[in-house]
Amino acid sequence: MLLAEGIWKSFRAPSGAMIPVLRGVDLRVGRGELAVIAGASGSGKSTLLNVLGLLEDAEAGDVMYGGRAVGGLSRSAKSRARGQFVGFVFQSFLLLPALTAIENVVLAARYVGQGGPAARRRADGLLEEFGLSDRRDHYPAQLSGGEQQRVAFCRAVFNDPPVLLADEPTGNLDDANGRVILEALRRRVAEGRAVVVVTHRPEALAGTGSIYQLQEGIVRREGV
Amino acid sequence: MLRHGERIRRYAFTIVGVAIGVAGLVALGAMSERIVRFIDGGDRFVLGQISVAGRGMGMGTGFTAGGLLSAASIRAVAAVPGVAGVQAQVMLPLNPSVSQFMTLTQELILGLDLSVPMSNRSFPSLPVQAGRPLRDGDRQVAVLGASFAASRGLRVGDTLPLDGQRFTIVGVLERTLTAPDRFAIVPIADARSLWVAKDPLLRMALASGGLALTASDLNTGAAVGWRDGEDPDAVALRIRERVADVNVQIPSELSRLLRSSTAFFAALIVGIAVLGLVIGGLSLANTVTAAVFERIRDFGVKRALGATDVQLGREILGEAVVVTLTGGALGIALALALGGSVQLYVARLGQQLFLFSPRLLAGALVFSVLLGAVAATYATVRIVRVSPAEAIRRGA
Repeated sequence: MLLAEGIWKSFRAPSGAMIPVLRGVDLRVGRGELAVIAGASGSGKSTLLNVLGLLEDAEAGDVMYGGRAVGGLSRSAKSRARGQFVGFVFQSFLLLPALTAIENVVLAARYVGQGGPAARRRADGLLEEFGLSDRRDHYPAQLSGGEQQRVAFCRAVFNDPPVLLADEPTGNLDDANGRVILEALRRRVAEGRAVVVVTHRPEALAGTGSIYQLQEGIVRREGV
Repeated sequence: MLRHGERIRRYAFTIVGVAIGVAGLVALGAMSERIVRFIDGGDRFVLGQISVAGRGMGMGTGFTAGGLLSAASIRAVAAVPGVAGVQAQVMLPLNPSVSQFMTLTQELILGLDLSVPMSNRSFPSLPVQAGRPLRDGDRQVAVLGASFAASRGLRVGDTLPLDGQRFTIVGVLERTLTAPDRFAIVPIADARSLWVAKDPLLRMALASGGLALTASDLNTGAAVGWRDGEDPDAVALRIRERVADVNVQIPSELSRLLRSSTAFFAALIVGIAVLGLVIGGLSLANTVTAAVFERIRDFGVKRALGATDVQLGREILGEAVVVTLTGGALGIALALALGGSVQLYVARLGQQLFLFSPRLLAGALVFSVLLGAVAATYATVRIVRVSPAEAIRRGA
């Protein structure tokens, strides 16, 4: 489902020198597969996830969704591809502070041409599934971290994207809430979706999917 | 999607910022409008009539400055082809001190011959806001200009003492924001009497019996109207050719003269307008742009969710229009409130500092919305050039 070939990405250091972060990364994640990408802080895990999710461009290499290369698309075409193919779960949740929980969830529908009562019903169903029915009209500031991440998860899966990208999804959560999110990720895999999780604690997902180590800009498969 | 109340709370600072910018723009614009009205009013007046005075220097002032204009001269002017009517006038300074002559806003006594209609095409009648206009046959009554009345707290029915004579106020004019605001208008017979009282030389000359003068010869000037289809400049030149011993103002020349003498004010208007646009505009544009950049993370998230440049631009533009409209309306209200407060103070001095005309208020609102839209578009273009990942990082 998701294929990345020869991804190169560098950042400019304050001195002006270019520092390579990704050096020809290859990755393939099929339907119903989970790829866990581990690595030390600053190893480029989040950068890789951003490139996979078309949130930033690679200098070389390409990303393909469903066999279609999307790396070279125009800015707007990439936006549409994101809306069509990808769901994101961020470590810091990234809910919009001025929107309520249900509005944050429905927001995912707005940019792919959905919305209206049907979208709200679906959002209500998702919030109920994650035990957030009584929090639907609360603003992010009125929710705990665990609740915010569950809302963010509902938003990520709202359009039922074939690929889910999660960047340290449990990094800011306590154990109980972390387990809820990990279980939800496993469910997505079981439902036949491709899931990529970036984490510095791969053991939490051991036995669910393939584990990769990102080291010195290269991804190496470590095990399952 | 966003509740209206929540939207207002969220944008409160932006709206206040826009309101302050628009308030500055409207206040400066209102001062500019006030000056424009003053200059245009004078221009309309002088272009609405041919002003004639006697040759030489005399007691008259304003546009009838010159020597005595006798009844015979007035009859001669009336006989010139193209002339529709001649209204004899006596125009005197209220306070004939040197310092008063030096001011631009001198208060005047205007005596009108009410047996003939007003000859000014721009002002066929002076608009009365309270009481009534002067009528033929009136004596010892006055109609006051708005500033003249306001600065003295005078109303219809009150008495105005002028050089030992008492005049009953029968009317107060609407504010014209030009010369008539400072007039005390009286019947011409009363003005002639005031003239004689003010001028010892004239009194002496009349008492000597050496001058063959009747009361109807005591005119400082006359307003001359022209027939339909006539060129006023041509009629004025014809009067100059055919009637001896008169000063004739050519309307277009007088207008040019007035324009050049008010060139400073014209420059002031441009200065105030530019200042208003720059201060108000920059404040508004900066506020809107900053408000958009402040939410760069939100826009990064929306793009991650699939928002295209056009969708994002439309969203930001819509919000900017609502915010600038709200801020613009609030700014106008603020300017009206502040201007009203200042006006309460200066009105006691018979002045009007601001003119909040409908065109100014509508223009300020349109300007703020357009500028808000331009600022929002600029910010959107800047934001979409940043990758969603970078937008999220910057807003963190």
